Amino acid sequence: MKKKLKRTVALLTVLAMSVLLLAGCGGSSGGEEAPSGNTNGITVFNSKMEIQDQLLQMAEKYEAETGVHVEVYYSSDTVSAHMATRYASNNPYTLSMVDAKDIYSLAEEHAIPLDDEEWVKDTGYAISIGGHVYGFPVCVEARGIIYNADAIKKVTGKDFDPEQYKTLTAWKGLIEELKKGGMESPTGVMKEDWSLGAHYLAQVYEEQDDPDAFLMDLSAGKVKLMENEKFNSLMDTFDVLMENNYAKASAISAEREISEKKLAEGEIAFMFGGNWDWSQINQFDYTENMGMMPVPQDLDDGMNEMLVGGGSKYFFIDNSSNTSEEQRQQAKDFLNWLIYNENGQSFLVNDCALVPAFSNIELPISDPLGASVSKYTNAGKLIPNYNYMPDDHYAILGAMFQKYLAGISDREGFAKDVETYWHTKTLTSHSE
Amino acid sequence: MERNTMAYKSKQFLMFAGPALILFCMVIIIPFIYGLFLTFTSWDGVSAEKPFVGFANYVSAFKDAYFWSAIGRTIIYSAFAVVFVNVVAFLLAYMVTSGVKGQNFFRAGFFIPNLIGGIVLGYVWKFVFNRAFVAIGEAISGGTVPSLLSTTGGAMFCLILVSVWQYAGYMMLIYVAGFMSVSDSLKEAAMIDGCTPSQAMRNVTIPLMRTSFTTCIFLSITRCFVVYDVNLSLTKGEPFFSSVMAAMHVYNKAFTYKDYGTGQAEALILFIVCAIIGITQVYVSKKGEVEA
Repeated sequence: MKKKLKRTVALLTVLAMSVLLLAGCGGSSGGEEAPSGNTNGITVFNSKMEIQDQLLQMAEKYEAETGVHVEVYYSSDTVSAHMATRYASNNPYTLSMVDAKDIYSLAEEHAIPLDDEEWVKDTGYAISIGGHVYGFPVCVEARGIIYNADAIKKVTGKDFDPEQYKTLTAWKGLIEELKKGGMESPTGVMKEDWSLGAHYLAQVYEEQDDPDAFLMDLSAGKVKLMENEKFNSLMDTFDVLMENNYAKASAISAEREISEKKLAEGEIAFMFGGNWDWSQINQFDYTENMGMMPVPQDLDDGMNEMLVGGGSKYFFIDNSSNTSEEQRQQAKDFLNWLIYNENGQSFLVNDCALVPAFSNIELPISDPLGASVSKYTNAGKLIPNYNYMPDDHYAILGAMFQKYLAGISDREGFAKDVETYWHTKTLTSHSE
Repeated sequence: MERNTMAYKSKQFLMFAGPALILFCMVIIIPFIYGLFLTFTSWDGVSAEKPFVGFANYVSAFKDAYFWSAIGRTIIYSAFAVVFVNVVAFLLAYMVTSGVKGQNFFRAGFFIPNLIGGIVLGYVWKFVFNRAFVAIGEAISGGTVPSLLSTTGGAMFCLILVSVWQYAGYMMLIYVAGFMSVSDSLKEAAMIDGCTPSQAMRNVTIPLMRTSFTTCIFLSITRCFVVYDVNLSLTKGEPFFSSVMAAMHVYNKAFTYKDYGTGQAEALILFIVCAIIGITQVYVSKKGEVEA
């Protein structure tokens, strides 16, 4: 009898423990992490690391102001990979901030159309697919050459006017002058594959008359890059950047932080980058007068007067049954608040230092790189981003570009690498 | 109570193995089968539809030159790492069981790298290679010295070095246990019979601790084959993909390049390669084990 009791107790303990174990498993995946399902407020996914703190603070203020609870999430995963996980576990965010290419791959299946929203008329950067607006542009970002005008003035003694250095010839002259004046290596080159592959190389496509047609031809083997004007002109400029790189001896182990620091403190004067670099530069003891200018090229079609860029990071609203109608409405209200409410505008421009994508926002931009971008944007001098790049483009061609940067391959070899890559792709036209 | 009925036996089995079995099924078997199913679809990771494509993913996996070069690189890396990990671990274990002063301190010291997570360890070493070694090199040579991590052979060398540093301490513990399990009387008997210490080591101690070798080699092979964390934080596959290991390629293929089906198929191939090597190794070394 006693033995039996003991056994029963043991059995019960084992059972209880295994149930607990299972409950523990279920709990961690379904409990605290589950943002949706509760109709009380909305969940927002942020994929812009540098504004996470600001977003968290804003969420508190927003709740105090409107009574709507906003829960902000961030992940350092690749955006598309993170979205995949959330959708695979049936646990999407009400409002997700993703990259443009993710809108194209996700929106038709997972987003609600936003055609009737008031803001559609105030922006030229919203993303539409099949005649419906799906993506709300968070900000405008552009790339070009970042300069440190104070560093230049210190050597040349003259105020730096980027307008005068549109051509490679003029710019090269300035670099020589800087070198003579004691700045040994006036440029920095970021070795990151996204900077080389997704940004610098992409400009070769984006400067073509019709990027889509150009890439189709490239993939069909009809383009010889070595004979292409834009490729050669951009590579000529890159050669100058590379030649005067402060980290020339070990170009592919140059660390981004160090390059940004040198630029911020005026040890170097130029670096290819974008206004997102401000979030790094402002960590250092930066000098006052910095800005962005187009990549200097010996061209006469006006491309050397333009930055490359457009909308960056897009919000979309989930259409699944995990999100209630009420939440969707709250998400729409939130987007409207961002661009029509004074506090929302100030949040975007002052707190996050973003360049807004909406023409109704007239607040002055606080960071110098953003101010440059905003100047070019308002003047209509922006070459649009090409948003349909294959997903492995930046990694594979970025690596090939690094080979060029390291001096392992030459221009001809690099051109061949690019051509070979595109030959393996079958493309469909994206003309809208 | 009848103890040899089927009902009793299965009840006993379920009581003890049941919870583990359920968990094992839920986190290993079911995902594995689901993964197998995904290799036959062209799913992109997000879409609700999973179109069936038959063996197309396997065909593209076999055609993926980057994948095969990553596998080749993993084999080279594993070969070096496994040999060095075990040699170093064995020597360390010998040292800390031979009665040197402060051997417990050394045991703890050598084991510590294993307690640091792979990601952190990668960043620490990245700093050492990129800054410390470069600074030392420049001070000695007087010129500019490129970091080891920026050369194609160098990155692989760094990976192997860091892996050896990380795993040697852990394997050392297993070898220490092996050394201690060999009773002193056997060694003494061998010495009395006229063995030199090195002969006693070769002919008595090592054969008797063969299980330790089996375990250590198995553990180090399987760990090296699916290395990811150190690979990610130390080299990230750079420069120019020259240090992309198989697991990293599979991850990139599936999640970064959004070719989920092919990535999954490649993961399966990697699993099979791993399983074959692991099982062969265990089979071969089990055959040679000696019972004391």
